[in-house]
Amino acid sequence: MERESIFVDIAETAVRKAVRSGAQMAEVFVSKSSQLNIEVRGGSVDTMKLAEDRGMGLRVFRDNRTGFAFSTDLSNRGIEEAVKQALANCLNASDDPYLRLPPPGPAYPELDLYDPDIKGATVEQKISLAKSMEEAARSYDPRVKVIESSTYQDGEGLVTIVNSLGMKLTYRGAYCGIYLALAAGEGNDSQTGFALDFGLKFNRLKPEAVGKDAARRAVRMLGAVPVSTRKVPVILDPYVAAGFLGLIGPALTGDAVQKGRSLFAGKTGTRVASEKVTIIDDGALPGGIASAPFDGEGVPTSRSMLIEGGILKGYLYNTYSAARDGVQSTGNGVRSSFKGTPEVGTTNFFIEAGATPVEKLVKEVADGLYITEVMGMHTANPISGDFSVGVAGLLIKDGDFDAPVRGMAMGGNIIELLAGIDAVGDDLKFFGGSGAPTLRVTGLTTSGQ
Amino acid sequence: MIDKQVLKEVLDAALAKGGDFADIFIENKQTTGIRCEAGKIERVQSGLDIGAGIRVLSGDSTAYAYTNDLSRKGLVGAAGIVSHAVQGNKKEVNLDLRTVKSPVNFSFKERPEDVPAGRKVKVVEAADQAARAVDNEQIKQVIVGYGDVVQKVIIANSAGEYVADERIRTRLLVQAVAASGPVIQTGIEAVGSLCGFELFENYQPEQVAAGAAQRAVEMLKARPAPAGRMPVVMAAEAGGTMIHEACGHGLEADLVQKDISVYAGKKGQKVASPEVTVVDDATIDNRYGSYRFDDEGVPARSVNLIEAGVLTDFLYDRLTAAKDGRQSNGHGRRESYQHKPIPRMGNTYIAPGKTDPQKIIRETKNGLLVKKMGGGQVNTTTGDFVFDVVEGYLIEDGEIGPMVRGATLTGNGPEVLQIVEMVGSDLGFTIGTCGKDGQGMPVSDAQPTMAIKELVVGGTGHGGTNGKIRRI
Repeated sequence: MERESIFVDIAETAVRKAVRSGAQMAEVFVSKSSQLNIEVRGGSVDTMKLAEDRGMGLRVFRDNRTGFAFSTDLSNRGIEEAVKQALANCLNASDDPYLRLPPPGPAYPELDLYDPDIKGATVEQKISLAKSMEEAARSYDPRVKVIESSTYQDGEGLVTIVNSLGMKLTYRGAYCGIYLALAAGEGNDSQTGFALDFGLKFNRLKPEAVGKDAARRAVRMLGAVPVSTRKVPVILDPYVAAGFLGLIGPALTGDAVQKGRSLFAGKTGTRVASEKVTIIDDGALPGGIASAPFDGEGVPTSRSMLIEGGILKGYLYNTYSAARDGVQSTGNGVRSSFKGTPEVGTTNFFIEAGATPVEKLVKEVADGLYITEVMGMHTANPISGDFSVGVAGLLIKDGDFDAPVRGMAMGGNIIELLAGIDAVGDDLKFFGGSGAPTLRVTGLTTSGQ
Repeated sequence: MIDKQVLKEVLDAALAKGGDFADIFIENKQTTGIRCEAGKIERVQSGLDIGAGIRVLSGDSTAYAYTNDLSRKGLVGAAGIVSHAVQGNKKEVNLDLRTVKSPVNFSFKERPEDVPAGRKVKVVEAADQAARAVDNEQIKQVIVGYGDVVQKVIIANSAGEYVADERIRTRLLVQAVAASGPVIQTGIEAVGSLCGFELFENYQPEQVAAGAAQRAVEMLKARPAPAGRMPVVMAAEAGGTMIHEACGHGLEADLVQKDISVYAGKKGQKVASPEVTVVDDATIDNRYGSYRFDDEGVPARSVNLIEAGVLTDFLYDRLTAAKDGRQSNGHGRRESYQHKPIPRMGNTYIAPGKTDPQKIIRETKNGLLVKKMGGGQVNTTTGDFVFDVVEGYLIEDGEIGPMVRGATLTGNGPEVLQIVEMVGSDLGFTIGTCGKDGQGMPVSDAQPTMAIKELVVGGTGHGGTNGKIRRI
């Protein structure tokens, strides 16, 4: 474990050099991360990957302009080159009176983000997690034929932010997770299933549950065929619901609203979804994989109520977009890595669990479709909200799951979908940073034969 | 960048506990990114990313490590880490590291680092203004992104091969948002090549931008696409998303060997209509998916995947080639030193046929004409794929009819390739970033104008009559 002070020293040096070279304000974000990835197939290790990565991103401000440069070269020469580049980039950017850096925050949430058991566990223990997940899937049903990948992954990171307004912050975090993708086969038919479990605690990973879940998802799809076009209630499983939630994340940022590319612009205080829907972003959520004491520019993270009972409450902000709207940053200046600037983004972003058990959601449907897979979500249009995706799942007949279907297409607009949610399950589940419970939606058309 | 003697030491350390093969991939990547939105140059960024990835193959298993520390100590240390993943005896390697030659050469006229940032910003501004000028009223937002990458790589392996190469890619992306009343629509155009700033000799930024803006504006008037099963014509300029999803991924040897491709075990068999020939050629001059060497140092070549409907080959990297007891055909690619190479596409296309494209539309009578495809996705195990239509028209009585929006096409790769009825004499390319196993790769794909007997169109229009398009 490298001493944290090394990176604070590097960041302070870079800020000092930037200010000396003409920056009126400067900020350095340094991250060091390591990652372990173990992929098991057929009971033996297919790929073992060990990674170590470090670098810095430098933002400079001068005359209401900003420039950015990143580098993996943290030597004095590397820092000087990055300072030169960032200042040159600054000259070419447009001026904007709202550009600024945040001062140090008054207080930061205290979070339990570093589980020493992740680093403490042996590689053999981690390999056996992946193996037991694979075994659980195979023993669930003999039709589980192919394991595409049974993966264990963990990582830890050390983040340091220093700016010329006196900010000097650092935190360490770690995560771990397992992922299984497989195929079940019968005759010429082959169907895929997957499941995952990512979190902050090594001892909470459940390889058997993940193995069974992936196997169940594949096996129940065997024999799936397209059916006729229909307009019936659809039930979205948590994974699919979280995928649709991802579509509206960008539209809930102050940045998108200010730039006229948000569906939710000018709608605060009005109804934008069914009354069953409450959507939250919480950068300080206990146990959340995207939790951190501060965001990518050192602003304390917080819980933002975005949609409450269907009513739009507000947007997410970083320092810049907050200044434009004359509000406080919500601590949502998110960086993809040291290679990116802090842009408004979601952290732990989820639809709050409802009160209805999933069995009841299904029981109440006489003729419907339970959707467990969506293809082409990335082709949906987050600006207009239009989506048209390939879907697969199970028919619902008289309150029970019936035959599997695939090769169907479902089109609509996310606003219609949000308005059409008539029941929310009690089974909120997270997939990385985004989470959702099971949702029941009316009014969508599913096209097939 | 790195002394050959150090590379030999690293490879030696990597095989200290055995293994069949070791290689090192050293990368120095300089990037520029410029983004303009709301008429403002919001971001001008540059970056330097240097690192090395070291790999040992032993039987079916791969050990991989990467580091930003390119000192002798850092590299030998990383090699030591990968060597521990293998349990065996030291493998003696006698290395002289011969430089490998590639049969193809690409020239770069205007290197991005020689072009001042101010000129790059001008291109972005010109595109922004041209897009807005299309319709000052209805165009509400324009986003322009410029990016260039200069990637220098050194690849050395325990077979004694040494490759030093450079790839330069430049791209421009314009997204326009148009609104009229409650309707919001977008138009996107992207151009990119394996080339430097001379990209803009071939593509006028203003024209690219106007194309995106015009589409956004026209889409405001488009009617919702019909839903159901119907004949589909894909124009050449629609691009190659369909072929990329319908068969490209399924022909990657790793998926075939894991038995998660519908094309597994079908080599030598008829998998498509005799009209269909599919090629992946990374050696085409300066295409976005072109390269001299793949990321394992194997020279690029043209690979025939399907010939007149018969499956002839898969896309191989070294590991999958070794498993099949053959040589790699130059498709082992990786996003960066942080990723292990896997079989990937380069420039994938369906070869042109003989039919006049106009005739294809005339003879289709009624259906959907796809003028431009967006993104797509495939489940290679089932072959089911989906892709987005960003510009589509109804075909009515053999004529191009009204524009429609919101259509997605779904189909099954092997089924769809069997019902390709006509293949045109033209060919149109599009560029994209292809994602697989978390790695994004620059690719291009292409196809001629083609008629497909039937595909499922997932639109939002409620046509009734069991979803089939009504024939007038």
